[in-house]
Amino acid sequence: MKTTLVVAAALAALGAAPQAAAAQGRPADAAAPVTLIRNATVLTVTKGTLPNTDLLLRDGKIAQIGQNLSAPTGARVIDATGKYVMPGIVDPHSHTMADAINEGSLSVTSMVRIQDVLNPTDVSIYRQLAGGVTTINVLHGSANTIGGQNATVKLKYGRDVDEMLFPGAPPGIKFALGENVTRKSSQERSRVMGQPLRYPATRMGQEEILRDAFMRARDYKAAWDDYRARVAKGEKNLVAPRRDLELEPLVEVLEGKRLVHAHSYRADEMLMLLNLAKEFGFTVKTLQHGLEGYKIASEIAAAGTGLSTFADSWSYKIEAYDAIPYNVAILMRHGVVATINSDSDERARRLNIDAAKLMRYGGLTEDEALKTITYNGAIQLGVQDRVGSIEVGKDADLAIWNGHPLSVYSNVETTFIDGEIFFDKQRDLAMRAEQARERAELERADAAGSGRRAAIVP
Amino acid sequence: MQIRRSLTATTAMLLVGVAAPSMAAAQLGVQQERNAPSTYAITNARIVPGTGATIERGTVVIRDGVITAVGASAAVPSDARTVDGTGLTVYPGFIEAFGSLGMPSRSNGNGGRGGRPGGGPQAFFRGQQQEQPDGAPNSLHPPGQQPEILAVDLLDPADDAFTAAQAAGFTAALTAPASGIFVGQSAVISLRDGAVQELVLRSPVAMHIGFTTSRGFGGGFPNSLLGVFAALRQMLLDAQHYAAVQAAYTANPRGRARPELDPSLAALQPALARQMPVVMTANSEREIARALDLAKEFNLRAVIAGGQEAYKIADRLKAENVPVLLSMDFPERPARRGPDAEPEPLRVLRERVEAPRTPARLVDAGVQVALQSGGGYDDFLANLQRAVENGLSRQAALRALTVAPAELFGLGDRLGTVEAGKIANLTLVRGDVFEPGATVTQLFVDGRPVTVRAAAGRGEGTTATAAGTWTVTVTLEGSDHPVTLGLQQSGETLRGTLQGTLGTAQISNGSLTPEGELRFTSTVTLPAGSEEATFVGTLTGNTIRGTVTIVGHDPGTFVGTRPEARGPGGARGQGRGAGRPPQR
Repeated sequence: MKTTLVVAAALAALGAAPQAAAAQGRPADAAAPVTLIRNATVLTVTKGTLPNTDLLLRDGKIAQIGQNLSAPTGARVIDATGKYVMPGIVDPHSHTMADAINEGSLSVTSMVRIQDVLNPTDVSIYRQLAGGVTTINVLHGSANTIGGQNATVKLKYGRDVDEMLFPGAPPGIKFALGENVTRKSSQERSRVMGQPLRYPATRMGQEEILRDAFMRARDYKAAWDDYRARVAKGEKNLVAPRRDLELEPLVEVLEGKRLVHAHSYRADEMLMLLNLAKEFGFTVKTLQHGLEGYKIASEIAAAGTGLSTFADSWSYKIEAYDAIPYNVAILMRHGVVATINSDSDERARRLNIDAAKLMRYGGLTEDEALKTITYNGAIQLGVQDRVGSIEVGKDADLAIWNGHPLSVYSNVETTFIDGEIFFDKQRDLAMRAEQARERAELERADAAGSGRRAAIVP
Repeated sequence: MQIRRSLTATTAMLLVGVAAPSMAAAQLGVQQERNAPSTYAITNARIVPGTGATIERGTVVIRDGVITAVGASAAVPSDARTVDGTGLTVYPGFIEAFGSLGMPSRSNGNGGRGGRPGGGPQAFFRGQQQEQPDGAPNSLHPPGQQPEILAVDLLDPADDAFTAAQAAGFTAALTAPASGIFVGQSAVISLRDGAVQELVLRSPVAMHIGFTTSRGFGGGFPNSLLGVFAALRQMLLDAQHYAAVQAAYTANPRGRARPELDPSLAALQPALARQMPVVMTANSEREIARALDLAKEFNLRAVIAGGQEAYKIADRLKAENVPVLLSMDFPERPARRGPDAEPEPLRVLRERVEAPRTPARLVDAGVQVALQSGGGYDDFLANLQRAVENGLSRQAALRALTVAPAELFGLGDRLGTVEAGKIANLTLVRGDVFEPGATVTQLFVDGRPVTVRAAAGRGEGTTATAAGTWTVTVTLEGSDHPVTLGLQQSGETLRGTLQGTLGTAQISNGSLTPEGELRFTSTVTLPAGSEEATFVGTLTGNTIRGTVTIVGHDPGTFVGTRPEARGPGGARGQGRGAGRPPQR
């Protein structure tokens, strides 16, 4: 009886759904009202820095940028005097939210999709929102030459996966070259454990795997083209070719509909891929990591390929020895769309600092440095018309910083995605009290309903 | 009757093949049947029929495996063996809604290479060398992706696991192989002794999907969740394509190349045609969402098994009319945590607190729920009782154990209620099964009495029982504290309260071994404040004694007596009623 009462009390206290939701980091931002941010320093990234400027966010878009804008009735007004607004950070290389990273069994796993294994409750999403990140490119790992299909995601923490997938973002796929694929260490383990070794064991083999896969994709496309042509001619009793989930995405690459993000380190392997892509008539969208990119900056620029790298992280393996911190600057001066990425849940929270380093190493301007974590990333993901800069008509994905975001002393106060608040420092503080209360309730309920046999510890 | 049985046995022999070792046993079974009584009457019992009102004192008559009469004044046939049901409640036999009872522990797909040419029958039947995973013969697909596998072909009726399931009140079970992606097709079986052919109530029942990678890293595709979804999707697409190719060939075979036979893809056709439900194992909210997405993509009749976080996605389950085979294996509190342990994450606490609330929440949301033990038979009744404590109505609970699974598995006309004409599967309980202290005393399965035994490995039943009100003196640092200890026992689990000069508190982590070793923790109020005290001792007859440990205090002692007779929930499973033929 007593137990029942306690549980009932706990239920009543927990009852209200919005409270529980808030405790899980779900924003209580019903219906995304119109927001007016007043008197901020706006870092548009593409149109310069605008002092003492107002921003009106409506229907998920940036509706107006100007001075002395009037607040519509019912609008949420945020006084940002002395504060900075910058576009939401775009991270072109992330593994956040992925319940599985590698399908490393085969050399070609283009049939697997990161979208199938996203975890929308990953707390790292929230931490990245607190670092001003709003869009990430969740990539398959680098275990095999042709990895899986990536997912471009807006960090709408607390929502379902469907709501987080970036609407209209072009699909992409991960390729990988070099040491991770030849995986000398795990090949050795396989040898010891008597498991079969996976081809390829050299960079030569990687090129062969790629060429073979695209030739098969060409044949597959031809079979479907033939079938469709015969259907169009009115032929009867045809059976469609077998759908092949491995080759379908590669056909999309050949057709220019799917973006290739290729993990690579050395200049020679990058050149190999650029040449092979030319042979098959597609463009590699980005080289990922690409620490030796500076050696072939002109070639990368000529191929129309972007590059996404670390600001200053190297020598963690043989193929990462030739890196220099001037990589991004040299690439940009040669016309390559270059970005900084995290490849890490932890680093993703402070990409602004990595961008700032580029002003020290290579002398990028403020806007150029900011572009490496915003607009250029949007280009690399094919969503530059939607995010990456503060312009009228773009998605209202932005963050209010308490100081200049390229300063180590600054941090994020509020992060918006599609005009909705998904992180707010004040809310976070309030949530802590709420969580303490919830914890107390849960612990009480847990103790009350705990006539359980627990493992006995002497 | 006997002729029919013999015929069944002959057919069985033909089906199984000459070499099957179980044949001798099956024939012995038939021999035994000749003299076994087949008519029983359970009298003076409280009957909860699962349909209509409870009969406070009535009779259930069973003949030849079927219930022939139920009622307050049903006549006892002259040839019936009478089981005195005084003090017992008769429920419809519980149905385990999901699991792998009787399946080989190394199910299809643990390691091993693909099953391309030639698994062969010798690798199929039991008795093959342990290294080989069970695989379908001549499948074109690797183990773990062989939907043509039938649980009945793998069933081992001598599985000890039946014993534990019976002790929890289960008389029938849905069973499917345990691991893999497409793990095979399930069967509903009777939980009693007998040849495989006698035990099968229905087969196949459902297609089962496990989402588990069948090999470790370094093995074949797929070795990750990513690959699992790709493999599922490709195989379902291939099955659709297979149907189209076969149909085209059948319509016009002349002059066309003959498509190859693929038993795996052929086996998927009923699922793709929505004739067969697809049971998908999924526990977290996102696992369930992924399973539902897959079902939507291929227009499958989805059923979720597991469903730990199903309450978070109840609206969608309701909207898409997806039943849940809900696991009652609730997360447990970890063993006593050290003083320096980090606080448990909120998520973990939530999971534990929400688990017993989940059955009620799903039922309230209008989701079809059938209950499964989740494999934890020792805790099943205690967890069922917690679910009732947390808002699940008894009616809904009983339904989820009986009618709901019977209907889901296409056996609603034969199982699920205590009604004339239904299969005589009954669960007899001393006490009310939804109240602490209830004990399953006996089952009838297919009209045969089944003695409930304690789970293997725990000896023949818990002999010590601690249920009741105890007058206890706790001696701490030289002073005596009289307290009253009220204990309820369920299996080896103890619950209850401690009241007196040490304050009032619920006890936790309570347990009692069959040998009488007693242990529980409780918050006690001392002059210096509240402390957690651990009581460890022994129970002998109506006396308990032992030590009390409180961190930072000298060890104390306790001694107590139980003035009244032992409470409900006495001796477990020692058969009452008339003598019965041995079951094994």
